Amino acid sequence: MFVTAISHYSIHYGALIRGYDTSSLTATRNILLLLFLAFLPVFLKRFIKFDGNWTLYTAAVLLFSIGLTAQYRLFSDPEYTSRKDKAEARQEKIKVLQMNYIQENYSAEKKQIMGLPPTPPGPIDLSTQTPRKSTDTLTEVLFSGNTVNPAIGILGMLIAFIMLRKEKVLDWLQKNGFLVVLLTLIPFLGAAALSHAGKFANMTPWEPAKIPCLVGFAAILSVLYKNLAKTYWGVPRAKDVLPLIVMAVMPFVPFFVLKDFGQMMVFSAVYATLYLIAVRRFSQRFVLVGSVLLVASILIVGALPDNTQAKIPLLPTVAAPVKKILPNRIQQRFHLWLDGFNPPSPETAWWKDDYDNYYKKLVEKDPNLPQMLAEDPELQKTINIDAWFDVLAFQPAQATFGLASGGMTGRGLGLGYPELIPVADSDYIFSALAEELGLFGGLLITFALIVFVSAGVRTARDSRDMFSKLCCIGLSAFIGFQALVNIGGITRALPMTGITLPFVSHGGFSLITSFVMLGMLMAFSHRNSVDRRRDTVEVKPQP
Amino acid sequence: MTHLLLLIDWSQFKPEKIFGGQILERTPAGLSIVYLIGVGILIGFLVMTFLDNFRRPKFVFEQNLPKEVRRKLTQTIANRGLYVWQVLFVILALFVFGFQVYWTKFADDSNEQFQALSYKDLRNRRINSANLRGWMLDRTGKLDAALALYKVEKDGSVERTFPLEKEMAHLLGTERGTPGLERTLYKKEVEPMPEAWEILTKYKKPEPEQKDVRTTIDKNLQSYVAQQLEGKKGAIVVLNPQTGDVLAMYSNPSFNLAEAQNLSSYLKLEANKDQKPLLDRATREFYVPGSTFKTLTMMAAFRAGKEGTLLGDLPEGYIPFNGSRPIRDANGGCELCRNDVPLREAFKVSSNQYFAHLGNVLGRDRMGETARLLGIAAVDKASEAVTQGYFPDIWNASDRRIASALAPARATMVVGKDITLYDFGLEGMGQGLASQMTPFQMALIAATPANLQGRLMKPKIEADVPPQMFSQVLTPQQAAQVRDIMSTVTEEAGGTGGAVRQALAGTGIVAGGKTGTATKDGVPLFDPKTGERRFVLKKKKDENGQLVEYKDYLSFTRIDGWFICIAPLENPQVAIAVVIEDIGNRFGGQTAAPVAANVVLKARELGLLGDKYKPKAPPAKAPARKKK
Repeated sequence: MFVTAISHYSIHYGALIRGYDTSSLTATRNILLLLFLAFLPVFLKRFIKFDGNWTLYTAAVLLFSIGLTAQYRLFSDPEYTSRKDKAEARQEKIKVLQMNYIQENYSAEKKQIMGLPPTPPGPIDLSTQTPRKSTDTLTEVLFSGNTVNPAIGILGMLIAFIMLRKEKVLDWLQKNGFLVVLLTLIPFLGAAALSHAGKFANMTPWEPAKIPCLVGFAAILSVLYKNLAKTYWGVPRAKDVLPLIVMAVMPFVPFFVLKDFGQMMVFSAVYATLYLIAVRRFSQRFVLVGSVLLVASILIVGALPDNTQAKIPLLPTVAAPVKKILPNRIQQRFHLWLDGFNPPSPETAWWKDDYDNYYKKLVEKDPNLPQMLAEDPELQKTINIDAWFDVLAFQPAQATFGLASGGMTGRGLGLGYPELIPVADSDYIFSALAEELGLFGGLLITFALIVFVSAGVRTARDSRDMFSKLCCIGLSAFIGFQALVNIGGITRALPMTGITLPFVSHGGFSLITSFVMLGMLMAFSHRNSVDRRRDTVEVKPQP
Repeated sequence: MTHLLLLIDWSQFKPEKIFGGQILERTPAGLSIVYLIGVGILIGFLVMTFLDNFRRPKFVFEQNLPKEVRRKLTQTIANRGLYVWQVLFVILALFVFGFQVYWTKFADDSNEQFQALSYKDLRNRRINSANLRGWMLDRTGKLDAALALYKVEKDGSVERTFPLEKEMAHLLGTERGTPGLERTLYKKEVEPMPEAWEILTKYKKPEPEQKDVRTTIDKNLQSYVAQQLEGKKGAIVVLNPQTGDVLAMYSNPSFNLAEAQNLSSYLKLEANKDQKPLLDRATREFYVPGSTFKTLTMMAAFRAGKEGTLLGDLPEGYIPFNGSRPIRDANGGCELCRNDVPLREAFKVSSNQYFAHLGNVLGRDRMGETARLLGIAAVDKASEAVTQGYFPDIWNASDRRIASALAPARATMVVGKDITLYDFGLEGMGQGLASQMTPFQMALIAATPANLQGRLMKPKIEADVPPQMFSQVLTPQQAAQVRDIMSTVTEEAGGTGGAVRQALAGTGIVAGGKTGTATKDGVPLFDPKTGERRFVLKKKKDENGQLVEYKDYLSFTRIDGWFICIAPLENPQVAIAVVIEDIGNRFGGQTAAPVAANVVLKARELGLLGDKYKPKAPPAKAPARKKK
């Protein structure tokens, strides 16, 4: 809490240098939220008798506090928040910097000629300046998503914890896994059908669906995993395999409709994890690993950028049919990932429309353009590069430049330019952090994440039955993989997909889901230690 | 206790007191580092407590079991799988983090694509956006005579303003089209703030910056020159021949820079093909130099030692070869009508015959050599004459960008073997294939003999750049002789530039110069009302024998008036080239020469000709006329 207070003051001061004030209300809100989270363990211990491992909770709260800092930084920047007056807010910032420059460098005579009071050049006194006031009001701060979502999240965490603590609930879940998934899928499919461009009223209400899907899959796997080992001529019985496959495929349908490939990636990674941990024979593992590799290689072969393909003999011929089938969006993402700084040719199918739109707008501005283009074929290349970096590659490229500008310790909170990256508060929050806190900031997040996941694995290992083992590892894998896919997308280790960084990103449903998952993990951890204590107690009387 | 707490001055513990000092950025930078360390310590604790818990708790019953059994106690297949998965996850997480390390540490050095496209980084633009340019000062270096400065508007915004917005539009250049001094003259990049820890440890406050640039332009002369061309199309270039300083340079019609900022009005300026306001006629428009070019021919004669050549100036004209058309003087016959005309007299009356003949006497190599020394490209074929691009190397500038922004169109003449003696003769008198001269180039030609050492000094626009020579064209003695011959035009009776003598009477200034009246064929004719090209509708038969209407665009033969001028003769401080387009039936001596004389007078008034000629308040006692 104290550390966060320091960071908030830093942001406040950095903002003053650029001529705007940060909202002290929001800062107080953040501090109070963390204060509450800091004292929650006392409550948990006293009244709910939590007895599990605290590492999970602490790591999550740390990540959450870092996220709050980054969001505070972004949302106090008027240029970032205002939708309409972006340019005006930017101009205002520039003006302040210009006046500072004049104050520091211009002689008294020059200032007089300019129409300013003739003062000798000297350092700037921030206390005499009037920064642009923050517009946040108390009600806005209290009822904004930033307050409400964590509150609901913490509530959800408590409920999840209290529910799953009970043996009965777990038993019910394990027996009715299929029903749980079906019941989730129906509203989920409905929302997916009504959604637009992967969003439903600018939200992703299907985030919580991860939990029931996972529970269902874990349930069916924990029933079937022993049977899977029984093979006839090397093949397990259909009645063992089919329900598993049905269960695994079900959540993919709505995500495919939504074209949410990030979630699909996370889901397949989590399901693969569960399967690999549940099955016992090497050949069974190999079947999965082999098929995953096959799908991945088909994808990669199909979506590799043209000039990379050309380097490998025969590859273009092999890839051509795959390329036709692959959705444009996947090809785009792959190109951005592997060859993001190299614009595709304007004839490429998935880029042509965007390029043409861009070109049309240019022609509206400058009617001479087609004629100039005819005279100078090189011009098209320039336009293509501009279009690429203004349309599709804008966000990822700016994020990469942000990463690069961070260095070891970053620019300093409030001193970087993460406001240049559109929606840096959710998907791209890692690049905002990396810019202002540098490699160390990235390392801290990575470590916090590793600790969280390791604690989850620890919980899974201590679990006594297969179902809770699978649930635990599934939950930690969800959080871990989601974070990796997000960070990897920004650092270009993986294709970029629009999913959030758990606990850190600003997001409604995803934040709530993460907290509920945390609550579930804590419940399992609690059960483990209760179990162990019981064992110990039973054993103790023996001499 | 509370009293004690109140006694402490808490403001001492404000972070800006601890980190800050003179550099504002230190406070957030220091706080960020503290934040990083703080979170780092917290995570360190977390890892430590976690590792502490990591060892599997021992069950009491296992104490009696053998070691092998104990080890295998919880090692189910699933648990081993979990362990492997955990290790895999840690590796993956570090792998992903490794990419961040790559982008921050290595991409700048090793990724070529990344380097090449780093201009797409909006951060650079943002860092530079608050970077104020320096002020552009005129040659006096006084702040209140700045040519480009910042003003604070009523709404508090800082705006760049130009006192001579229209008068210097071409020199300053637009932000949109061709760059000029505004975009090239000042130090461009700003150093971005370093990383947080460097701000805290190494970073020092830079000294108050001095980015202002003193130019060679004289503000008063520049605005006066612009006045002189009001209502006319043309250009004036004023140089100091001894140092190469550009004192004034103006092309009319001009435009307001504010108009060029706005896209629609800029397009309107660009579309105006009649007035061509965006065109800098002084450096980028080719003119027929007419008789002023005879100065070059004369210098070539001096270089060849043929200044004593006597040639004819006859009624029937000069006939270069048998069967050729004759070349006659401007009056249609002969000016002197003698057989043994010397160079001096021919120059005074501007005899076409003499200089056409002289050009052929000197030959193509000698003419070409002199031309090259004067910065003119001597090419072999007529087709190459207009494809020589720009000539930034003529400028004496501290930065290549300045030279490129001001680069004149490369003046050319044709000296190839393919052209006839008649055509080359025309070049010798400044018509025909020598028609690609810019006013700037003509000012350089005037400046060469005006230099006391006979050198062509590279023109310069920055006052603090040391003078530089472009070429040694004449010896000092030859230069003095050429100047003397040039003075016959203005000073002696019968000279074509007599208007200058009348204007300068009583000032004691002896000037020299050369008039020119050039005819340019095929100039498109515009409708003054609509600004469109004028045409007549004509009918012709197409391939099918049908009558079709077509537009026959009209053109006319334009007469341009020239005057190049140097003053004062004994130690010239200005070399002027004036061109005025479309003077009708008059001559350069009547149109351009008075303008040049006015400029000389203004330069005198401003003290540019030296203190000797500076008028003492009201001209109480005229300074004694100095004779050579």
